[in-house]
Amino acid sequence: MFDLKKYRKKSPWILHYNAGSCNGCDIEILASLAPKYDLERFGVLNTGNPKQSDVFLVTGPVTFRSRERLVELYTQMPSPKVVIAVGSCTCSGGVFRDMYNVEDGIDNYIPVDVYVPGCASSPELIIDGVVKALEILEQKSKEIELPKKLFGTIKEEEGVLNLREMALSVAQKSEQINAQKSEQNEN
Amino acid sequence: MSKKIVQIPLGSQHISLLEPVKFKFSCENEKIIDVDSDVGFVHRGIERACTTKFKYDKIAYVVARVCGLCAITHSLTYTMSAESLLEGEVSMKAKYLRVLMVELDRIHSHMLCLSHVSENAGYEALFMQIMGDREPIMNLQEKISGNRVQFDYIDIGGVNRDISLSVEDDIKVSLKELRGKIEDLINEFENNYTLSLRFKGIGALSLKEAQEFNALGPIARAAGLVTDVRSESNDLPYSEIGFKIVTSSGGDIYARNMVRLHEILNSITMCENIVSGIPEGEIKTKFKGKPNGEALFRLEAPRGELMYYVKGSSKPMLDRLRIKTPTFASIPAFVEIFKGQEYANAPAILASFDPCMSCTAK
Repeated sequence: MFDLKKYRKKSPWILHYNAGSCNGCDIEILASLAPKYDLERFGVLNTGNPKQSDVFLVTGPVTFRSRERLVELYTQMPSPKVVIAVGSCTCSGGVFRDMYNVEDGIDNYIPVDVYVPGCASSPELIIDGVVKALEILEQKSKEIELPKKLFGTIKEEEGVLNLREMALSVAQKSEQINAQKSEQNEN
Repeated sequence: MSKKIVQIPLGSQHISLLEPVKFKFSCENEKIIDVDSDVGFVHRGIERACTTKFKYDKIAYVVARVCGLCAITHSLTYTMSAESLLEGEVSMKAKYLRVLMVELDRIHSHMLCLSHVSENAGYEALFMQIMGDREPIMNLQEKISGNRVQFDYIDIGGVNRDISLSVEDDIKVSLKELRGKIEDLINEFENNYTLSLRFKGIGALSLKEAQEFNALGPIARAAGLVTDVRSESNDLPYSEIGFKIVTSSGGDIYARNMVRLHEILNSITMCENIVSGIPEGEIKTKFKGKPNGEALFRLEAPRGELMYYVKGSSKPMLDRLRIKTPTFASIPAFVEIFKGQEYANAPAILASFDPCMSCTAK
């Protein structure tokens, strides 16, 4: 029969978004999908559609204009999903930290499961990160599939719509923090 | 057939795009009649940070992060413009090693573009094959500089690492293998129906339009415009190592592919000549003073002419840094090429430009 859980484990699809990176990590992601490193042997496919993907690969320090698109793509992905931050600048801002149009890392906006360091991250590190993310994906899908009667109902807050609100509230919080920071700087 | 105009957006996130860029095509039936582009998604403010956050001797490592594909050209152009404002001289050996890395970078960048073009023609197997052929070049770059993509190889006064004899042998062997593969690829791109028939006459730019709209790099050379900074300046020893300008005619996707393939062959020849005749000398010399005055410098990046303007006044911080990148200068030509084409060809045409948005937005 049609067993989604099995297919998700054997063939996770990835969505790649560039949130202001220098292309270095993006070409390394391409290289890790290509023959020498061959991430496709784990069943991983690169898709352009957020609604069919399980793994979200983000590169770049999140520029001012790409943050709305980042949250939008994240909320369009169905649960369970994992987020991988590829590259130093994605994890913390890296060399771009404190530039005027940069938001210092994606964890100000969306929850991150795996951090991959390096400028630029080598394909070996990216493969390591994706394999790690697959374990977390399996764990997350088990949590969702817990029987309702034994462990209580699935809470309304974990639905897709509320995930969007959660992500937006994270964004608003970080905006408030930024506003406070700028006020302090002015003082 | 109605004459209604339909707006079709492409981007900012799309499977055929590596980077966020947004195009809005106005289409009448299948024909594109107008294009509007939005390139500012990856603007980070590097120019400003270079004059406020970083000292002049660290900027070469910061501007390398403008773009990962032509990182070496960015840091080299900045370093050479800063060196012209300081006292000292770069040794001949360092110059040869710099050119070696620039040309290896050009080979891998062109191969990435060709693989994207074949992917957008629906030829997935060739995409994989070219990406596989590209790996030996990435390996060589790792052996020479220590990193696959962001090299941090060039510093003011010379280069950061010396080249060993075993690496020189590896370069010779890998380049010889690559030359055979590129010759096979030329045959494939010329004679395979999926590639040659599909691309002949698509996305054409005439010689007059190329001059009028200021096209640069392989796009201009494919239209027959003879423009290449490598032949126009004597700052790097290109005339000694067998540089030949490559041009074609027609200006369509097919001609652009041919220009890129023949440029790879020329770059291989240059790299082989460099490796067989590296002069003796220091890899790094000391430079005195702080940058004072103005300097304007240009070099040929894989996508066309890259220009740096540096202004300093004997202080550790620069007064102004301005970067003019090839894709930014070519946008009027891009828009002209899109007009009158079928919408179904748009991703293939876009891939053949080899656009670099993180360069454009900085």
